[in-house]
Amino acid sequence: MKAAAAVARWFARTLAIVLLAIVGSTILVRLAPGYLSDAREIDSRYGDAVRAELSAEAARSGTLTHLLSAEFLGWMRGDGGVSRQYGVPVSELILPRLEVTGGLMLRGLVLAWTLALCTSLLSSAARKPSVLWQAPAALLLAVPTAAMATLCLLAGYGGPVLVMALLLSARDFKFLHHTLRKAWFDPHLLQARAQGIRTHRLIFGFVLPSVRSQVCALASLSIVTALSALVPVEVIFNVPGLGQLAWNAALNRDLPVLLSVTIIVALAVTLAGLASDRPGEWRSA
Amino acid sequence: MRANLAAKSLLGVLVLAAVIVVSRPGASYSHQDRESPLAAASKQHPAGTDALGRDRLVRVSAALLLSLAGAVAAAALTTAAAGGVGVLAAFGPESMGWIAMLICDVFLALPWMFLLMIVRSALPLSASPMNSAVVTFLVLAALGWPACARAVNKGAHNLKSSDWMLHARAAGLRRRQLVRTAVPNLLPVLLPQFLISIPAFVIAEANLGAIGLGIGEPLPSWGGMLLELDNSPMLFETRWVYFPIALLIIVLLLLEAIAMEA
Repeated sequence: MKAAAAVARWFARTLAIVLLAIVGSTILVRLAPGYLSDAREIDSRYGDAVRAELSAEAARSGTLTHLLSAEFLGWMRGDGGVSRQYGVPVSELILPRLEVTGGLMLRGLVLAWTLALCTSLLSSAARKPSVLWQAPAALLLAVPTAAMATLCLLAGYGGPVLVMALLLSARDFKFLHHTLRKAWFDPHLLQARAQGIRTHRLIFGFVLPSVRSQVCALASLSIVTALSALVPVEVIFNVPGLGQLAWNAALNRDLPVLLSVTIIVALAVTLAGLASDRPGEWRSA
Repeated sequence: MRANLAAKSLLGVLVLAAVIVVSRPGASYSHQDRESPLAAASKQHPAGTDALGRDRLVRVSAALLLSLAGAVAAAALTTAAAGGVGVLAAFGPESMGWIAMLICDVFLALPWMFLLMIVRSALPLSASPMNSAVVTFLVLAALGWPACARAVNKGAHNLKSSDWMLHARAAGLRRRQLVRTAVPNLLPVLLPQFLISIPAFVIAEANLGAIGLGIGEPLPSWGGMLLELDNSPMLFETRWVYFPIALLIIVLLLLEAIAMEA
């Protein structure tokens, strides 16, 4: 019963966060100083009367209530509204790209976690922390995603998955190394090592279970980081995914598309919070 | 400690060098030398020129100063906002704390890059380069506080339940007095948050600029200069196009080293 109440509370909070994210993003867009400006207004081919008409039309359709109702109606219809740039339902633009982005993120996350876990297990088990392990991670963290993607493109080596994996694994390594190091030097593990229990048994039987909750929290953080890195990676490598769509929408002021992508991302981030030991909380409720 | 001091000193030297380069007589980040576009390193242009004939060393120095100044200001704003919200949520009424943390969750549910793109794309088409720079860093400050506020809130809650705070409450200190006593004790939480935010904001500005949504030209920025790398013919002309990215990585490594020690 308590567990059911905990699940219900979490669900209500998640729903509230997503709804607030929709309303907040819409308000943010509407209150932005240039929301009502249109590229055609500074085009010399249009006369003053046309420009005035464009401004008036933008002001009429740009009220906050109009924007919010259009957004909600679009989501209720299931098409997310109509793209200002392409004049087609937003869902038609988003659905084919979801698969591309999902695949890219999944491959990037799997590769990143494999890299981070293997390297951090090796580095944390050493008696003294070595600069050899720390330096590459520090260097990777100091390179902006866009720069890393551009350099990979110029070198003709690696692709979006590798860039995503390198970025994520460097971040994950930093936290995993500290967490695992603490776990390795716990008194009961020191005794187990002294007794000669095999390393793989130590890892799977003691080390990994003891850091499970931190690893779960880190996994959800990885998803957030991957989503943030999505835009530069997809734009620079010309991957037709959600990040590229959002960037294109931002450049062309296609706000229905931009808002829909943002809401999907908000939903993904909120659901990723599930990984951060919520099931554990529910079980203990 | 020694690494921290070395990083601070090196960063100080870089900033000083950038100030000297920018304030040299005749140095201008927007002046176009039409006679020598894509020039190699020379006495006149120690790091060569870009495709428009602008001195690369002056532009990189100006970008370093602008980026650092903007990131430090944004980090100060975000830390102050996070401190205010975190303390208010911990010491205020329970409902206020709940609402504040819910707002934090809403912000945290929206990755920076998407929010930045929303706001940046809705800027007026006629926004001046300086306005675009100010707005970029203001938006970074406005979006960066929730994670920091959560950390401050946790620290404030720990303080609130500490023995000396319980003693102070039992002795009849008012809420305002409690807050005034608690805030200086939160400095060990606030300072690292401030220092961590600086490289994060520099990276965010560079990423945003590299996809064409950052600071407007002709104002130099890291992101804008990363766009130079897209120009393939230029890469064969001169290796100096890699200079901005190399310096950016050095600056970020120094900032990370300073933040790590805190």
